[in-house]
Amino acid sequence: MKKTLGVLLALGTLMACNKNEEPIIVTTNELHMAIDKVTEIMIHDIFSPPVASRIYAYPNIAAYEIIALHDENYLSLEGQAHELTAIPKPDTSKPVNYSLSALIAHMDVSSRVIFSEDKLATFRDSLYTIWESRNAREFNASKEYGLEVAEHIAKWMNADNYNQTRTMPKFTVDTDDPSRWQPTPPAYMDGIEPHWNKIRPFVIDSSNQFIPSPPPPFSMEEDSEFYKEVKEVYDISMEITEKGDASEEIAIAQFWDCNPYVSVTRGHLMFATKKISPGAHWIGIAKIASNKTNSDFNKTVYAYTKTSMAIADAFISCWDEKYRSNLIRPETLINEHIDENWKPVLQTPPFPEYTSGHSVVSGAAATALTDIFGDNFAFDDDTELLYGLPIRSFNSFNEAADEAAISRMYGGIHYRKAVAVGVKQGRDLGKFVLDNLTMTN
Amino acid sequence: MNKSLIGILVILIVTGCGSKEGELFYNPTPKETGLSFENTLTETDDLNILDYLYFYNGGGVATGDINNDGLTDIFFSGNMVKNKLYLNKGGLKFQDITEQAGVAGNSSWNTGSIMGDVNGDGLLDIYVCAVVGINGFDGYNELFINQGDSTFVESASEYGLDFDSYSSSATFLDYDLDGDLDLYLLNHAVHTQESFGKADLRLKRSYQTGDKLLRNENGKFLDVSEEAGIYGGVNGYGLSVAVSDFNQDGYPDIYVGNDFHEDDYYYLNNGDGTFTEGIKKYFGHTTRFSMGTDVVDINHDGWPDILSLDMLPEDETVLKSSEGDDNIQTQKLRIEKFGYHYQFTRNMLHLNQPGNSFAEIALYSGIAATDWSWSGLFGDYDQDGEQDLFISNGIPKRPNDLDFINFASNDQIKKKINNTKLVDQRALNMMPSAKVHNYLFKGTSHLLFEDKSKSWIVNDTLISGATAVADFDNDGDLDLVTNNINSPASLYINKTDGDNNYLKIKLKYSPLNSFGIGTKVFSYHNGILQYKELYPIRGFQSSSEPIIHFGYGKTAKVDSLKIVWPDGQFQNIKNVNTNQTLSISPENTMPFNYRLLQPSKLRIFREVEDNLGINFTHKEDNYVDFNRQKLIPYQISDRGPATAIGDINNDGKADIFFGGSKFFPSRIFLQKDSIYVEEKILEIYKDSIKEDVAAVIADFTSNGKSDIILGSGGADFYNKMSPLLDTYYVQNDSIFETAPLPEYFENASVIEVNDFDNDGDLDLFVGNQAVSNDFGKIPESYLLKNDNGQFSIENNEELQNTGMVTDAIWEDFNGDGLKDLIVVGEWMSPKFFANINGALVEKKSLDKEINGLWQSVIAFDIDKDGDKDYLLGNWGVNNKFKASEDYPLKMFYSDFDGNGSTETIVAIPKNGKYFPLEGLDGIAGQIVELRKKFTNYRDFAGKTIEQIFDKKTLDNSIVLNASELRSGYLENNNGRFTFVPFESKLQWAPIMDFLVYDFDQDGADEVLAAGNFFGVKPYHGRFGSFPGAMIRDKNDVILGHKMGLDLSQRSTRHLDIVTLNNQPYLLVTFNNEKARVYELIKHN
Repeated sequence: MKKTLGVLLALGTLMACNKNEEPIIVTTNELHMAIDKVTEIMIHDIFSPPVASRIYAYPNIAAYEIIALHDENYLSLEGQAHELTAIPKPDTSKPVNYSLSALIAHMDVSSRVIFSEDKLATFRDSLYTIWESRNAREFNASKEYGLEVAEHIAKWMNADNYNQTRTMPKFTVDTDDPSRWQPTPPAYMDGIEPHWNKIRPFVIDSSNQFIPSPPPPFSMEEDSEFYKEVKEVYDISMEITEKGDASEEIAIAQFWDCNPYVSVTRGHLMFATKKISPGAHWIGIAKIASNKTNSDFNKTVYAYTKTSMAIADAFISCWDEKYRSNLIRPETLINEHIDENWKPVLQTPPFPEYTSGHSVVSGAAATALTDIFGDNFAFDDDTELLYGLPIRSFNSFNEAADEAAISRMYGGIHYRKAVAVGVKQGRDLGKFVLDNLTMTN
Repeated sequence: MNKSLIGILVILIVTGCGSKEGELFYNPTPKETGLSFENTLTETDDLNILDYLYFYNGGGVATGDINNDGLTDIFFSGNMVKNKLYLNKGGLKFQDITEQAGVAGNSSWNTGSIMGDVNGDGLLDIYVCAVVGINGFDGYNELFINQGDSTFVESASEYGLDFDSYSSSATFLDYDLDGDLDLYLLNHAVHTQESFGKADLRLKRSYQTGDKLLRNENGKFLDVSEEAGIYGGVNGYGLSVAVSDFNQDGYPDIYVGNDFHEDDYYYLNNGDGTFTEGIKKYFGHTTRFSMGTDVVDINHDGWPDILSLDMLPEDETVLKSSEGDDNIQTQKLRIEKFGYHYQFTRNMLHLNQPGNSFAEIALYSGIAATDWSWSGLFGDYDQDGEQDLFISNGIPKRPNDLDFINFASNDQIKKKINNTKLVDQRALNMMPSAKVHNYLFKGTSHLLFEDKSKSWIVNDTLISGATAVADFDNDGDLDLVTNNINSPASLYINKTDGDNNYLKIKLKYSPLNSFGIGTKVFSYHNGILQYKELYPIRGFQSSSEPIIHFGYGKTAKVDSLKIVWPDGQFQNIKNVNTNQTLSISPENTMPFNYRLLQPSKLRIFREVEDNLGINFTHKEDNYVDFNRQKLIPYQISDRGPATAIGDINNDGKADIFFGGSKFFPSRIFLQKDSIYVEEKILEIYKDSIKEDVAAVIADFTSNGKSDIILGSGGADFYNKMSPLLDTYYVQNDSIFETAPLPEYFENASVIEVNDFDNDGDLDLFVGNQAVSNDFGKIPESYLLKNDNGQFSIENNEELQNTGMVTDAIWEDFNGDGLKDLIVVGEWMSPKFFANINGALVEKKSLDKEINGLWQSVIAFDIDKDGDKDYLLGNWGVNNKFKASEDYPLKMFYSDFDGNGSTETIVAIPKNGKYFPLEGLDGIAGQIVELRKKFTNYRDFAGKTIEQIFDKKTLDNSIVLNASELRSGYLENNNGRFTFVPFESKLQWAPIMDFLVYDFDQDGADEVLAAGNFFGVKPYHGRFGSFPGAMIRDKNDVILGHKMGLDLSQRSTRHLDIVTLNNQPYLLVTFNNEKARVYELIKHN
């Protein structure tokens, strides 16, 4: 009965729209727009950097798996990404447009991981309307399939321990231990995501596969290695602030700030200036590279997927170390021991210092992007234009990663070792991801 | 008559003919009165709340009779507009004489204004504060000296008062009692609050922001702040100052209300020109965003009490969309690392308890939440003999709106601020306005206030700030005037008009203090004391008419008035007729003995200096329940330590066992000849992992030697972790060895010993309180039967699942000669288990179930009718929980997000609906799915629990209830029991333990009650206001501070008597504090 109705409906639609039926072409640009939309919503909803990395990865994989099923150039992640099983196959009797299904799956998984679904729905519905009017039969078939795959991916996603970690204990502040991380001004927020190492990684074996060498032993003795690191952050900061806002170092620090939530107090006003996360910045670079190479839809999906998986695993690895070493931030120590009025150029983000998240993530992302688009890939990075920052140009992804890493020292929020070791941690991890993923023939 | 009057009023309001009428006050229009002053703020790109944090604090208002014609005149200071002086022409008509008076002022930004006779000519002068030196504001604080002909000459520099700093207000006082008026100048910081900075920033003086104490030396005011010990740092956000002789030693003291993270200051006058600041010593906590302050004796004990205002919204929608209290870890950091005191975002009412710290009771009194509150002014507005309270209210924009902070601001203002340091008008418009009505509370006995805002006054939508009290129409009752932002000032004219009786007292003191500032008046009628001190500068940025006013209800004659002048001389006036204005000058005075004011202490307890050698300080481990179970209503990890008294070494003397918290060993003190000496019994000492919450010492093995049983808790251990197992130490040959107990993994709360099966050995009831990581689940409690020193669980399902047990007693409640068991706990009703030949069977013995958060139980004949009643310690009603029989407190328990671990959602009733206690951040921090349902705070705010969670979710959860939060007793009526609540002073904090003993050694037993509890989130504050109390009978309750016992600000766990050399001592064990020993002093 239902089936007949369906058939009738389909027939009806077919007949009614027959004259308008034309193939739906999904452009790379529409994919970029969908991802930009997610970025925009993430900024509004306020997600911490590790959570943001998860939000990018799953929708990309949903889209990628559909592409890989259809395009022999790409290989499914089934059995490659932990616990991912093969997505359902489409009903070949139906006119499924794989790119369309991929984008629909992407948007559907996205809407599950962000908060403000209505914002994404508005965007999605406008696309749906266009597609449907162009070719309802193809659209409906592709949508049905895309949503089926999204459901499959969502099931896999929901078993990654994210929900369980929401109820796990908060980080306990203990000011008796001078080396232990403490909340920092101005918002004194709790340490975020202390259990991120319990999230199922995508490619790396476990969160502690890339344990970096430990930070120098804590000591505020002036000749200790650790103290010298603290002092170096202070000295650099004083030097570059003296040079003023126009200094290259401050420009670099600001450019790579990538702090999703900077709490500002002005007069009696409190508000937040919000920016994209480090992961989002590199997703933005992936877009730039894709555009610059005129990559087709499938390659772009591939690039986004690989990059976002490397980034997500980088966060898991980095956060594992952060809450292992629980190292105190320069701001706390400098205020206590060196200069009580000192403020870092960037606002100190709310989690332990070691290793530098941006460094690890940049190392991993640059490694993935180099693999996809090649080394010495020069590009103009305009990712931060929307947030009032200028364009910076780089000769390669690795050059950008190195700059992102050192920016954290200029910003006064990391010691040198967290940056140097961090970027290496990210590259090692990135290489492992490449070695253990076979995505192209 | 009254009704028809109201009818007429209603018609008047409806027809809108001019003035607005409430039942007690009406507001004549500016047109009628001529009071056209309006504090108009003009927001510009260069000047708005972004550039100046106190842009919306408003101007000042000062009242007084400047031309001595018997009519009270009004001076308004304007922020951006000129000041105005209005002469009262009688008949509530006012004439603007600003121009001729020459008081319009020259500063760019005026703030508080006050009146006082600076030069001792009997004429009120006007001092106007100003903010100078930021935002291009220029000028200085102006002092207008009254020339006696309604003109004034600005003479601030002549007097040394021409400060060009960031002044909020000032107050006159004669702190050195040299006869002339000194000045306390209140300044405010503009220091960025991007980081707290250490509290000792206050020690480094700053001219612009620091408060100043200025000593009057022959008409020149000298800054003596430094030598007087007055703080003046960059972090003093001074918004109000109140002067009073808080400790009744004859010297004026000072309370300063500071905004933001800086503590309020409480300066006690040492009498030698210096002050000692003691906010931490005398206050358990204070307001956080301190605004207005007022001082009055609200409980008729002759001691000044303190009101400090904050900005906690009453309305659910506003509450849930506004930034609330600190999170618990930030609070900890602020206190432990930066050195500040506990501060919470709500109004505080600090009740003076001479000799002890103040008891804070605003939540109990019902005045804690009045939104954006500026000026709080006590006065007996209805003249019934109880102090009422007016609170002015409102702000044009709420900068603490969470949607603004998190969402709105970003796109709109970020760029503009970053690029131009200006705020966008569009962004300002996104902040909700808070045109909250002014509040008026009727004072009643028992320290409860009744909200009359909707009847006594007409609800306004004005932004009212500085307010003054005066009798403008000379009809004897108290009128009010408020300075409003962007609206004409409001006059509130009191219509009591002789319905109740009053006395108005004008004081004529000395040439240099003609109005008698600092004079005290004690009024006695029908055995009721009313007490006032003349400090007309009170509230916020304002000064009231310099008179003393009392209401007397229908009493026609006042028995006596005692006037104590600032110089310490006093006079009595007897048999004074009410309904008149008295003018009193010193006459036939005699020296006043301030010692007589100190309460004659019935000293029953005296702290023992050396603590009898019991050198035990309990240290709680740093486990924070809220870090793991983020939504539970209170902590369960801090219920220790255990205390047990018994003869551990079998020498015939009672020794003491104290439990340790996690990783702290337990401690044993053996009684020697004249002192206790610590003994380390290795077997017991070495097991430090467990947290011992309950302990008993007794001979369980019948070998003549004491054994020890410990109940473990602490909530940190969970599932089947072995530290949750209770411990049994058996003593053989003076050596303790562990012996097995039945295996159960619970958080113990109480162990009580009794031979319930009458077989000659000692059996146990082990009460368990809660399940770690699964709060809301009912833990199992056990009856343990002793067989030759071995315990086994006596199966009794009823008892096993009885609830979240906190305390129990073995007590023969049915008079059959066998001890029965009474069990109390949280989210349950007291349960009576009758012992029927060794079987414990629940017997419904209460008139009706009374679910409470019961903490303690004891048997005592409180009504002196010969049978045992049962006293019950509960949570008290000085907190944010709310419960009644019709609308109990509810706790929903379920795995709301289906992730395998449970949550609890506590909901409180408000106007018949249930709202979650926690805000969106709190709940969604745990149940992330809610973030999808509510993508902003606005949508979440004001939603009931049913609107937040769907019906199915709630239906699937288990609901725990508490319908009674008051402590009280079960009155025994022939074996049936009825709950009777205790009187109010026993409801200010949880009562954690009782002890029956003849403390005053008069031959009759009394009950000592003690409590307080701190294991709650900053949202509740800290329950530290109970000093302990001795209950002789239901009508005779004495608070601790009147008997030499101060248990306030400490959380009592156990009260015990220890006897050393035949002298009984009280041993009090606290959580996270040093145990204290008190000698019992024999009377008669």
